[in-house]
Amino acid sequence: MKVGLFIPCYIDQFYPQVGIATYQLLEKLGVQADFPRQQTCCGQPMANTGCEQDAKPVYHHFVDTFAGYDYVVAPSGSCVYHVRKHYDVVEQTGAVQHVRQSTFDLFDFITTVLGVTELPGRFPHQVGLHLSCHGQRGLHQANESEMTPVRDGQLSRLLRSVDGLTLTELNRNDECCGFGGTFCITEEAVSARMGQDRVQDHLLNGTEVLTGGDMSCLMHLEGIVRRRQLPMRVMHAAEIFNAALPQPSPSVSTFVPQPIVAES
Amino acid sequence: MSHPQRAAAFTSDAERTTWHDETLWFVRQKRDKAVYAIPEFQQLRQLASDIKEHTLSRLDEYLEQFEQNARANGVQVHWAADAAEHNRIVLDIMRGVGATSLVKSKSMLTEECHLNPFLIKNGIAVVDTDLGERIVQLREEAPSHLVLPAIHLKKEDVGETFHVHLGTPKGEKDPQNLTEAARQHLREKFLIGQVAITGVNFAVAETGAVVVCTNEGNADLGVNLAQVHIACMGMEKLIPRTADLGVFTRLLARSATGQPVTTYTSHFAKPAEGRAMHIVIVDNGRTRQLGRPDFRNSLKCIRCGACMNTCPVYRRSGGHSYDFTVPGPIGAILSPNIDMRQHSTLPFASTLCGSCTDVCPVKIDIHAQLYKWRQIIAQEGELPASKKLGMKLLSTVLAHPGIYRFGGKIAREGLRLLPHGLTHAAAFNPWAKARELPEPPKQSFRDWYAEQVVKL
Amino acid sequence: MSSRESILAAVRRNRPEPTPLPPVADFGGEATVEQFAHWLHFIGGQVIRLAADQPLEDAIRQLFPDAGRVASDLMPSTVPVDQQTPTAVLEAVDVAVLRGELGVAENGAVWVPEANMLHRALPMIAQHLALVLDHENIVATMHQAYAAVQHTGNYGVFIAGPSKTADIEQSLVIGAHGARSLVVLLR
Repeated sequence: MKVGLFIPCYIDQFYPQVGIATYQLLEKLGVQADFPRQQTCCGQPMANTGCEQDAKPVYHHFVDTFAGYDYVVAPSGSCVYHVRKHYDVVEQTGAVQHVRQSTFDLFDFITTVLGVTELPGRFPHQVGLHLSCHGQRGLHQANESEMTPVRDGQLSRLLRSVDGLTLTELNRNDECCGFGGTFCITEEAVSARMGQDRVQDHLLNGTEVLTGGDMSCLMHLEGIVRRRQLPMRVMHAAEIFNAALPQPSPSVSTFVPQPIVAES
Repeated sequence: MSHPQRAAAFTSDAERTTWHDETLWFVRQKRDKAVYAIPEFQQLRQLASDIKEHTLSRLDEYLEQFEQNARANGVQVHWAADAAEHNRIVLDIMRGVGATSLVKSKSMLTEECHLNPFLIKNGIAVVDTDLGERIVQLREEAPSHLVLPAIHLKKEDVGETFHVHLGTPKGEKDPQNLTEAARQHLREKFLIGQVAITGVNFAVAETGAVVVCTNEGNADLGVNLAQVHIACMGMEKLIPRTADLGVFTRLLARSATGQPVTTYTSHFAKPAEGRAMHIVIVDNGRTRQLGRPDFRNSLKCIRCGACMNTCPVYRRSGGHSYDFTVPGPIGAILSPNIDMRQHSTLPFASTLCGSCTDVCPVKIDIHAQLYKWRQIIAQEGELPASKKLGMKLLSTVLAHPGIYRFGGKIAREGLRLLPHGLTHAAAFNPWAKARELPEPPKQSFRDWYAEQVVKL
Repeated sequence: MSSRESILAAVRRNRPEPTPLPPVADFGGEATVEQFAHWLHFIGGQVIRLAADQPLEDAIRQLFPDAGRVASDLMPSTVPVDQQTPTAVLEAVDVAVLRGELGVAENGAVWVPEANMLHRALPMIAQHLALVLDHENIVATMHQAYAAVQHTGNYGVFIAGPSKTADIEQSLVIGAHGARSLVVLLR
């Protein structure tokens, strides 16, 4: 199985530890991921600003970069959602279709493709999970409160399985944090207010470590936590699992899934 | 003024923003509770969506069927291509019966057409009878929400308004007492109203009946005491059958306020003996929206307001920040059809979180349409120049790995080496007004990875 | 071309490909007095079960001991009302006692067609409203309600509880413009 790691631009430059944790976590689960160096971005920042046409060369570059992999895995549901949902504006060649179908959010990949729903290890902290909208409502990785009172999802299941970890019960389980890409700049006032309210919910309910599956939301929330000097750490969930999981013995890697075949 | 400017003005009152957010979130929670209790709720949404889509696909036939049945009931049916024609029709009806006063229950269509100022200019006394509408009318403001027109106001604000206009004691702010004062004040108006205008929630093609849903009973009271009833409706209010009301009445109030049904679900088909009924069917841009495949399904909207209550941006920016008759997410996809330039910032007043789409009882893909309007607004050249240029530049960078790697390094190193006061200057960097920038690491992920590969 | 013609022409030009009309829905449900009473209570109304031999006027007198002006076609009435009754008389009615045709268990609504109203404005203009309903005429949901009603007639209203508003700060106030209270008397 050939897995290409997609590390979004801002993670590459500002949160390398998230990329490293993603890489090492996959390694511990028996997946040796490859990081193609020519990768840049999925094009979402432009498209969400209305410049989908300008983003097309970026889409092509993304597809060219990852067409040769069985899976593309990214620690960011938002980028994955963009590739899956919005790469419909370029010609649907075999490569484009293959990349759209085989691009996975890290925890979707771990749960759905690797079939792992519990992770051993220990992380004795109260953890607050921020559900990112694109992963939750876009990729349906967690139940939506608009539909059902049941609060369940891939990431909350994985987190609950870690020894010593307690999950914060929030007043608002899945309210948007207000990052929203360029929204965080163009609508600065509302964006900041939304982030402050999210952080406050975690603070009130005892979160020590604020986590999530999407570093873009966490970057915004971390900016608020640090500005307000709040007693809370912000970590991507990959960092938590990577820290909690013991090193595997070298012979553990046994998993060989079937590659996805692109529909023509 | 743009949405961000008006929103910033709203959030600058932090306490009021908290109150506005929490009050509307409470309504969203009531909606959740009502929805969770109905096991078939998601099926109902699908049914409602399918019925509306079907109706839109044969709208001309249903409009004609509706008109024919309404006429057979003794109702006069009028057609208005735009707001001006709608207003003229209403004024002509009033003049035809020599009426000078009008009571009006809630109608977003008449707000859209700016009927009130037009009639007042022509010497007609107009009284909005929905309590919230009356409050904003007395204050000479626009409603800030589809269902809760005065939700931007605190009871102290209402108390002051009623003190000035209705003579309630200064400082009176008890909602019970204020509502009682409005009841007495509006009863007088009902008793002398010559003409009553209502909006229309649903128009049933097979019977020619219009259905009006209220909690206060103001529509029925107005219509049943007046000589003339004028029902003003957007052409998209059609549904084929009476039986379809079973689907929509189960969805509307639960989605809007969490009530199991509105207090009054009133079916008007034929005027009482000796009285008259008119129906005005209005286009005002709707046929144009019908011709836009990506946006036509916004015409399924039943005006429940659920997308507003759930929208984290609306809750923190207030209805007036949208500066359009219909605020919130649904307004942000309806308004560019009316005037793209004037409303060009509305489709960007969203994080695209998708909650609006998930609560919509008729399954309008609101957040997907917001995304699509952004593309059109950019193509039509309505983006601010800075944004446009920035995105072109970004695209060049991101399509060229060499430039990208160089740029990323510059950004990280710059952030690392430049003084905090410069990188966090709010004047240049809106991010930094309320947030710290990430702490730049010494090494990027790709540099780390390169080292690993060497080690391997 | 008239606006009517131009609008219809524009619709024909712009309408999407035809899609099917779904069949009439019915999801079953609980058509019980208990459900009906639960929901009517929830929305601010009251349910009283009349004993088989209890005269209606006794129940009304107990519920509204001070009501001087009662309008009804179901019991001796102190204010005669028909479609020609002037507004000033209607406005002074304390209690209207009218027949409800059908109750809806899922939401406490009662179908009141024009024929049961004496005057179209009476159910709303009376200070208090009492609806007499046969307990056998309760259906589960609005689907069955519309199926039973079939044609909504010249004018008819589903009335669910007393008039209410929450337009001031979302504080619920009972008695906006219509009846200040609603009681359903089940036979």
